[in-house]
Amino acid sequence: MTLQSLDAYLVLAGALFAVGSFGFLARRNAISMLMSIELMLNAVNLAILAFGAFVPGLAGHASAIALFVIAVAAAEATVGLGIVIAIYRNRRTPLVDEYDAMRE
Amino acid sequence: MVVVQPLADAALLTLAAEGGAGAVSSPLLDLVWTIPALPLAGFAFTALFGRRLARHAHLVPLATVVVSWLIAMAVVAQALGGGFGKGGAGITLWTWVPAGGFSVTVGLFVDNLTACLLIVVTTIGLVVHLYSVGYMAHDRGRWRFFAYMNLFMFSMLLLVLADSFLVLFAAWELVGLCSYLLIGFWYRRQSAALAAKKAFLVNRVGDVGFALGIMLIWASLGTLDLRAVFARIGELDHTTVVAIALLVFCGAMGKSAQFPLHVWLPDAMEGPTPVSALIHAATMVNAGVYLVARASPVFAQVPEAMVVVAAIGIFTAILAASIAFTQTDIKRVLAYSTLSQLGYMFAALGVGAFSAAIFHLMTHGFFKGLLFLGSGSVIHAVGDEQDMNRMGGLWRKIPVTHWTMLVGTLAIAGIPPLAGFFSKDEILGESFKLGFAWVWGIGIVVAAMTAFYMWRLMGKTFYGQPSEHARSIWDRIHESTPTMTVSLVLLAIPSALLGLALGLPFGDSVLRGWLEPVFIEADELLGHGHAEFALAGIDGALILASVFVASVGLVAGIWLFGAFRAAGRPATVARITAANGLTRFLYQASFAKWWFDDLNHLLFIVIGGRVADACWWFDRVVVDGTVNGVGRLTVDAGRGLRRVQTGRVQNYALGIAVGLIVMAGSYLLIAGR
Repeated sequence: MTLQSLDAYLVLAGALFAVGSFGFLARRNAISMLMSIELMLNAVNLAILAFGAFVPGLAGHASAIALFVIAVAAAEATVGLGIVIAIYRNRRTPLVDEYDAMRE
Repeated sequence: MVVVQPLADAALLTLAAEGGAGAVSSPLLDLVWTIPALPLAGFAFTALFGRRLARHAHLVPLATVVVSWLIAMAVVAQALGGGFGKGGAGITLWTWVPAGGFSVTVGLFVDNLTACLLIVVTTIGLVVHLYSVGYMAHDRGRWRFFAYMNLFMFSMLLLVLADSFLVLFAAWELVGLCSYLLIGFWYRRQSAALAAKKAFLVNRVGDVGFALGIMLIWASLGTLDLRAVFARIGELDHTTVVAIALLVFCGAMGKSAQFPLHVWLPDAMEGPTPVSALIHAATMVNAGVYLVARASPVFAQVPEAMVVVAAIGIFTAILAASIAFTQTDIKRVLAYSTLSQLGYMFAALGVGAFSAAIFHLMTHGFFKGLLFLGSGSVIHAVGDEQDMNRMGGLWRKIPVTHWTMLVGTLAIAGIPPLAGFFSKDEILGESFKLGFAWVWGIGIVVAAMTAFYMWRLMGKTFYGQPSEHARSIWDRIHESTPTMTVSLVLLAIPSALLGLALGLPFGDSVLRGWLEPVFIEADELLGHGHAEFALAGIDGALILASVFVASVGLVAGIWLFGAFRAAGRPATVARITAANGLTRFLYQASFAKWWFDDLNHLLFIVIGGRVADACWWFDRVVVDGTVNGVGRLTVDAGRGLRRVQTGRVQNYALGIAVGLIVMAGSYLLIAGR
């Protein structure tokens, strides 16, 4: 099975990114927001790998960058979850619009 | 450590070469610094411990002044005897301002001019200190008084001994400070406090000019050493020298109370009488005369500046004399008389008769000091009354005061052979012979006026019928304490004899011999030769003229106010003002001091106040408005933008997303075109 079109991959990546952004902006639950971030990161990863597959000479670079993104995303998820748990213990709620101590 | 600095100073090589003064080293020169230092020590001691000494507070100050006088007399004798060489000698005490290329040393300098001033300052200072022991006996603040007096002695001696303009200026300000402190000595009295403030402020006006002059000297010559400046003043261009001369004269006008800065001196009489005698008659007000005489090499370069000096001097002389006609406060009459005599001195300086000015400075110091101390004795005798209309007929009750004041009056009136005759005649004669007939003409009128108003003072105070007030306290009128009467006698002797001692022989007098080396440079620049004195010719005629007008004034005074005035013929105010319009106008002008105080009030309080109000309005509305406006704008902007900070992560994320879309979108739009 051969896939001829780069556009299809990019449209899928764009859709994934849009879903992630919407989720990040719209969901009130901190865990859901972290999940949305993962979606956006994976959308970007998909776009990078698609470019690597279709553009000659980028394949090696694309794989390396994608591996980095996966590693960084894992670290980010760890730290993010740690923060969310710490806040939850303090505020007894996972809802971010309750976290308004920084308001003027 | 005192370092003897011989005359072989680089800047003075020329002067030393022509003056023939070799390196001078004298043990006495090493002692010069003690002359001002002793009163300073007395001031420090009295200021710290005087209050505890209470009734004995005068002992230390008096002792320091006595010792200072002894040393000064020894120094004077050596200087006038030629011991310090023709150009004088100086010592450098320490380097005051070492600032790279600019360096000011504190040094003292004695030449014959300084010696003459030392005689006046230390002698009159000593006598006035002695007098004050009695005069201030009942004042609780006497320790303060003697501390200030000692500080003044220090400042004044530093002023005449200073060897650079900066030290001189410091001393100049110090005497001004002492004057302020002593005028306002009775600070609980509103008028005294105001008079002190007025004196200080008016003096500042002159001092600003003097300070500018000093800056100009430094900017153009790079040195402030007196002798170096005078040696090199010829290098400067004419305009600069005119500016320097006029600025320095501006300082002299303030300190010596010349028109239009004369207004402070009469008010300064609010101070205790010994202060009036010492500071405001005999010494400090002479500082301006001394300064101009000291700077004679500068003034001689620019004869047009000297004409200004002469004109202001002689105008002050006649203005003040006309005011003295109608004042009723005994000390104010003397104050205006002082102004008038100072005007004479400046007129003499202006016409180029420098040694005549110094001569008059010396004789005037003694007889005016005497007159002031005498007036203090009168005021004491009649129970702190200063209005001459409330005195009269006192001469039998206070004979010593009367006789000594009579000597002073005849001296100032210019009756031979008393001191004032010689010095005043020399001023008048010199100004006529040097081609300033207008100065002579006005001066001779002033001489007649002087004799008249002085006899008016004597007549109102000592002769005629006692006034009602005097009669009411007749039995309590008493002669002053011995320290006071001794002081009066001590001053009466030089007032009578100083002229004979210094002013003879005519034309080639002792004093002129002393001062010739000091003023030789200026005399040469002005081209004054040594004219032969012709007693049978012009000089005799001039002497006769001045004696004649003095006698006329005196006779008029005696006729109107004197011992022999006929009953029912007093020159009352009513008779003068009723005579005709002109006399009424003249009387009122004189009585109101030619409205100068009112003019100053109008100019500086009313108009100046309006201008200050306008400036304040501008500052408040425009300047403050701008600054406050900027501040308010920032505050309001901050308050508005504060709403953006919601503290919700998703709002910020939305902002980032929108911003990203806008930026990416606009990039695509621009790149796609």
